[in-house]
Amino acid sequence: MYSLLVLLAGILQSAMISFNGLLAESLSLWGVSLVVHASGGLLLVLYILLVVREKITLRGMPWYLYSAGFFGVLLVSVSSWCVSILGAAVTTCLSVTGQLFISAVIDHYGLFHVPKVPFSPRRIPCFLMILAGIILLNLS
Amino acid sequence: MYLILFVAFLYGCATVISKMINYRAAQELGTWNGSLVNYAVASILALVLLLLSSHLTADLTACVRVPAYLYAGGTFGVIAFVLSIITLSRMKVFQSTILLLAGQLLAGILFDVMIFQNFTWTKFAGVLLVAVGIFWDTKVTAGHS
Repeated sequence: MYSLLVLLAGILQSAMISFNGLLAESLSLWGVSLVVHASGGLLLVLYILLVVREKITLRGMPWYLYSAGFFGVLLVSVSSWCVSILGAAVTTCLSVTGQLFISAVIDHYGLFHVPKVPFSPRRIPCFLMILAGIILLNLS
Repeated sequence: MYLILFVAFLYGCATVISKMINYRAAQELGTWNGSLVNYAVASILALVLLLLSSHLTADLTACVRVPAYLYAGGTFGVIAFVLSIITLSRMKVFQSTILLLAGQLLAGILFDVMIFQNFTWTKFAGVLLVAVGIFWDTKVTAGHS
């Protein structure tokens, strides 16, 4: 059930990327980022006030947790920089490799307060298979 | 050349780390306020960068004048964001990453078949490899977690 929700999130991300591509035809890189984040933020504010009826508080976290928004905006420009030099296919393959690698590391050491899941070498063939599939997809 | 290959790899790492920071923020402030922090900080930063990059001459009304349906991107984005955060406590980080990628691939294939009608067997083989890889990995780790 939860797996399906994450799958749906992936589909929505893909749709978002397509819409952002359309948006980039009339706005600059930062303009797109502003529209996407401001409209998403506005929806969240409305949802919190009207549906959840919670008090809006943004303060009281360790300072480094506020860096997430920076990542979101800056990574957009890093990715377009990589795509402009390497092309979308190579960038995607390398980025996916990085995502799988860091996810396994986070699970293994239980970083960010997640439960530890020790890495088993038996997973390596599965990794390679997933990676081979992604490379094949990007070459076609 | 080699440096940029490494940058692309680090970019992938950073997207997951950013998701984890948001996950921690949601634990501290609750799902909704925690998510809002990300959007508030990102909006301010994007506005500042937009103004600086245009030497304070950016036409902000251009952002409001775009066709309304283009705001759908932000809507889809925020739903995807919240879904990926609230499900993270129910599964391994690796699983979450794989499923997000699988969803993106699935959407790509569906768009290709339905809208662009350029289905190829190479693509099909790629999807099959990814799907079997995910299934296999779930089997391997099932006994360990």
